[in-house]
Amino acid sequence: MSVRRTLAWAGIAAAALAAAGASSAEDLAAAKEKARACFACHGEGGISRAPETPSLAGQPDNFIQWQLVYFRSQTRKVEVMNAIASALSDADIRGLGAYLSSLPPPQPPGEPDDRPELTRAGAELARRNHCASCHTERFVGQGAIARLANQQERYLLKALRDFKSGVRRGGGVAAMPDAVYPLGDDDLRALAHYLARFR
Amino acid sequence: MSIRSKARSVAVAGISAAAAFGAAALIAAGAAQAAELHHYDSSKRSFWEHPPADWFLGDETEAQKGLNVPAAPATGIPAEQIEKTLKQIKLPKGFKISLWVAGVPSARQMAWGNKGTLFVGAFGVGNVYAITGPEGKKEVKVILKGLKMPTGIAFRDGALYVADIDRILKYDDAEDNLDHMPAPKVVYDDMPSFPAHGWKYLVFDKHGWLYVAFGPPCNECLPPTSVSQIRRVDPENGLAEIVALGVRNSVGGDVDPRTGDYWFTENARDWLGDDIPSDKLNHISRMGEHFGYPYCHQGNIPDPKYAMGHKCSEFTPPVLKLGAHVAPLGMKFYTGKQFPAAYKDNIFIAEHGSWNRHQYQGARIVRVIVDPRGRHAKQEVFASGWIKGKQDYLGRPADIVEAPDGSLLVADDWASAIYRISYGK
Repeated sequence: MSVRRTLAWAGIAAAALAAAGASSAEDLAAAKEKARACFACHGEGGISRAPETPSLAGQPDNFIQWQLVYFRSQTRKVEVMNAIASALSDADIRGLGAYLSSLPPPQPPGEPDDRPELTRAGAELARRNHCASCHTERFVGQGAIARLANQQERYLLKALRDFKSGVRRGGGVAAMPDAVYPLGDDDLRALAHYLARFR
Repeated sequence: MSIRSKARSVAVAGISAAAAFGAAALIAAGAAQAAELHHYDSSKRSFWEHPPADWFLGDETEAQKGLNVPAAPATGIPAEQIEKTLKQIKLPKGFKISLWVAGVPSARQMAWGNKGTLFVGAFGVGNVYAITGPEGKKEVKVILKGLKMPTGIAFRDGALYVADIDRILKYDDAEDNLDHMPAPKVVYDDMPSFPAHGWKYLVFDKHGWLYVAFGPPCNECLPPTSVSQIRRVDPENGLAEIVALGVRNSVGGDVDPRTGDYWFTENARDWLGDDIPSDKLNHISRMGEHFGYPYCHQGNIPDPKYAMGHKCSEFTPPVLKLGAHVAPLGMKFYTGKQFPAAYKDNIFIAEHGSWNRHQYQGARIVRVIVDPRGRHAKQEVFASGWIKGKQDYLGRPADIVEAPDGSLLVADDWASAIYRISYGK
């Protein structure tokens, strides 16, 4: 990412933080400080380098907040996240939502697509299953709905499988199983490949 | 009970008017038409775990694209902001609304214990809450967590009942064990496990029957014979019987104190348009009557695809058309003494508000005046003002319960709060 782009994002980030109501300097500092613990696994700046760990940067504010609420209430069960979220207050959650959503999102992978046929199949599946109805045309998410574009491919696959098997609960519990129930595992792979590489 | 045997017993439950009706409908459909319709093979275990998808049916128009279920603020709304909203809520003269308690994430159905505890179920967050303490100093305690969309709860003879999608749980002596809830007994589990329209509302009648609705796993489809119905369950022995058929998504109901009859709210299908079909208030006047889904909506609109030759006159019409996409949820007959005498035996309905409509409507409390047989029904808006602009909310009423003093409590799963509506001083 260019320096200019980074600076632009930093400006947007500051504006977003102000708008979100996490406006005081202490709130900002507290959210940034808390987020450093997230980055240990989720990658510096919230851009994950680990295939099964999602990027957090640029996820919609309310999506991040809801996932933390689900982890805290054990509605969504991931041991390490349940433990971390159990210590978060509502204010912490609001701060993390505002801060992480303000970070520049991950970019499409630089190397050429090794499975273009999978990408085409994924694009067709995304169209047929109305993914954009909620996740938006550019798959950047909105409200409590996740950003999918350029998320880690293996994490996307895991999430799709978890919705299909019913392991993943909480938000989207009606719409997501509905979207993935009829899909086979090859379909899920195609979707994950397409979305991870989305341009 | 294993899932396999559960599927079998669900099938057994369908030996009844439901099965006969389903078979007749299939024959009536004819081969040519049936080929275009979504249909289900519910004889296999896989169906009960993963029903086919048709939430959107693939037929929403370009103009409807982008309408989707809005999400509440994850951590609720701070009390001071709620107080501000409540100042804008319109009520009839003499009534007032105040914040009873905040910080009850995704609060849905409410039920009183017999020692003054208010129990509250929840939607996305898998919690059940107990609210205790004196007015103005209410304490919210999470007494159960990690459940599957426990929207529906009920209380009877010291026990708390919770609907956990595919089983109804009973917690004995709940009120004496709020800090350490006892292990539950499963009192009924002849229920599918899919989440789509799987969240519930629980209502006891005075004989101990527990009314529970089973929604179809779709927006519009020809569902298998053991869903799209209301059953009543005897938690003492786990037996159940079907009381209504042809019901889409019902998450609200109450027993008429005048007759003992069960009345219920019903959410109509989506994607037909902003102004049709209307959501409904229904009354069961005889066992097993059919309310029209998926063939007929709001009593007079045959489904464009699924009517399959059926006429609306074959089905029980609603007592009242509540409006398109108003999303009626919890309802209660008013039996208290605090409100003016004209309110006695009226129905209050919590309308959750739209998602499948360009300009949201609902998100209000409606008063219905109707005779015990469902005649001469009229409705008026009782409390409103929670819609913000075209597609946003300040709050969404989800359930209503009467307090011992005759005031109404309203659960709001958007603000994660409970309000009190009182009359007079």
